[in-house]
Amino acid sequence: MKMNRFVYCAVILQALLLLSLAPAMRAAEDAADRAPVSRQEYEELKAEMQALKKELNSLKKEKQAASAQPTQATAPSSRPMAAPAPPAESPKEVASPPSLIPELETLGTTRFLIAGYGEATFEAQNHNISSFEASFNPIFLWELAPKLLFESQIELQLSDSGTDVGLEYAQITYLLNDYITLGAGAMLAPSNIFVERFQALWINKLPDRPLAVYDGFLPETIVGAEIRGGFPIGPTRANYAFYVSNGPALTTNDPGGVGELNFSNFTDNNDNKAVGGRVGFLPVPGVEVGYGFEIARPGDQGSEFARLQSLIQSVDLNVTRDSDFLKGRVDVHAQYAWSKVDDTVYDRTGALGFGPLKFSNKRDGGYAQLAYRPTKVDIEFLRNFEAIVRWDHLNNPPKAPDAIDEERWTLGLDYWLGPSTALKIAYEWDQPNGQPNTNAVLVQAVMGF
Amino acid sequence: MISRYNPSRLALGSLALLGLSGLVWDAMAGPAKKQAETQPSESSISDEYRGLTGEQLWSNNCQRCHNIRPPTMYSNAQWDVIVHHMRVRANITGAEQRAIVDFLKSAR
Repeated sequence: MKMNRFVYCAVILQALLLLSLAPAMRAAEDAADRAPVSRQEYEELKAEMQALKKELNSLKKEKQAASAQPTQATAPSSRPMAAPAPPAESPKEVASPPSLIPELETLGTTRFLIAGYGEATFEAQNHNISSFEASFNPIFLWELAPKLLFESQIELQLSDSGTDVGLEYAQITYLLNDYITLGAGAMLAPSNIFVERFQALWINKLPDRPLAVYDGFLPETIVGAEIRGGFPIGPTRANYAFYVSNGPALTTNDPGGVGELNFSNFTDNNDNKAVGGRVGFLPVPGVEVGYGFEIARPGDQGSEFARLQSLIQSVDLNVTRDSDFLKGRVDVHAQYAWSKVDDTVYDRTGALGFGPLKFSNKRDGGYAQLAYRPTKVDIEFLRNFEAIVRWDHLNNPPKAPDAIDEERWTLGLDYWLGPSTALKIAYEWDQPNGQPNTNAVLVQAVMGF
Repeated sequence: MISRYNPSRLALGSLALLGLSGLVWDAMAGPAKKQAETQPSESSISDEYRGLTGEQLWSNNCQRCHNIRPPTMYSNAQWDVIVHHMRVRANITGAEQRAIVDFLKSAR
């Protein structure tokens, strides 16, 4: 009995001793975990990390080589038929280890991207009802191969009748070599640099676009084929774009627009095709001068206007300079254009009610814009502002019915929330010839993506 | 009166001539040069073209029209597509395209 008591006491004492020592043992283990790594252990880990980095780089290179040669990688003749997958023998073989580079495994050989912009604009104009408007302009880019690209832009805009949908362009381009690109489809007119490069509202610095070159007498979207590219000339550079397209249609029946060229002539009104293009020259980086043109026969097939010719010409200057002296960036964009259609008599018999009408069918117009952004001032807040001043005007034929000359001055201020996101405000002095002024306040929020 | 000639024939002839010249040029380049034009080979990752670095080409070409977007804004694959698109739009050369893409990827 005494012996039993002794044994019980010993067991209880050992248990108490273990319980009291347990926290101390745990603390000792934690201390061992936090012990400094020896130099040898560090070197081993470093070597292991470098080996992993090398392995990752080699995998990336293999993936890049495979994506650059998609035809070889995917050609049926170069690959054996895939055999049926064997049944899984054990759970360990089925469960693959987590990938180090998941992005590479999810990419195919083609690449797709949605870019574009969205905007909301408020306009309050004299003698017109003020209004908000909004639009969404997605651009779809498919790179089917390193040399082959399909791109398309759609404009979705709210209107009184619901949502207007417009196809801005849809074209396929093929990079023939470093200096030549071939393209076909509906494309932004290469002869009109404003439409091709500056019309997107996250690029255009003011809330609205200039007269004459946009919604004026120059082509915007054309349907046809083009050849384009750029090349160096010594230390300078040049670029070119030439195209053949359906061309414009001459308006002959509508008294409000008689003599105007209708560029929404997408299904064409005659067998004759328009020819156009633009050549640009960059004497130094940041400076480009260009000349654009388009020649067409815009009359309806078989009509008395079928032999008439139209000629549109345009010159442009684009300068972008970072200036330490001005502590910021200066942008100058200018474009001036001329349009001429052969003289003719419209509504010769008077049957349409506005003839016989003959006038010299010449138009001209353009814009000049200066912008300054203080990108080099010390105050970060100020670097996001950009001030803009623009002059634009449009001269129509004096004897053309309902054709009004117009001249505008616009002052604007942008605040850039990001490289392609801006809040814009502008005041426009607009004086149509012989009409009351249509001065306007414009406010716009735009985001490019 | 504007001078009379058939612009369609002139254009089609010019396009055919230019296209033919391009094909001849392309054929004369040989397989090695063609590979260099389509693939980012080791030598093409020099990130330079005619004395300008990829960063300078990126700044000069992009800023001519719009604010430049930082390299971190898109993935490597997205930059490939965007610079391809901009090569067509801004008429830059293939070598400039490759130098700009190499810079953007290295700067991410």
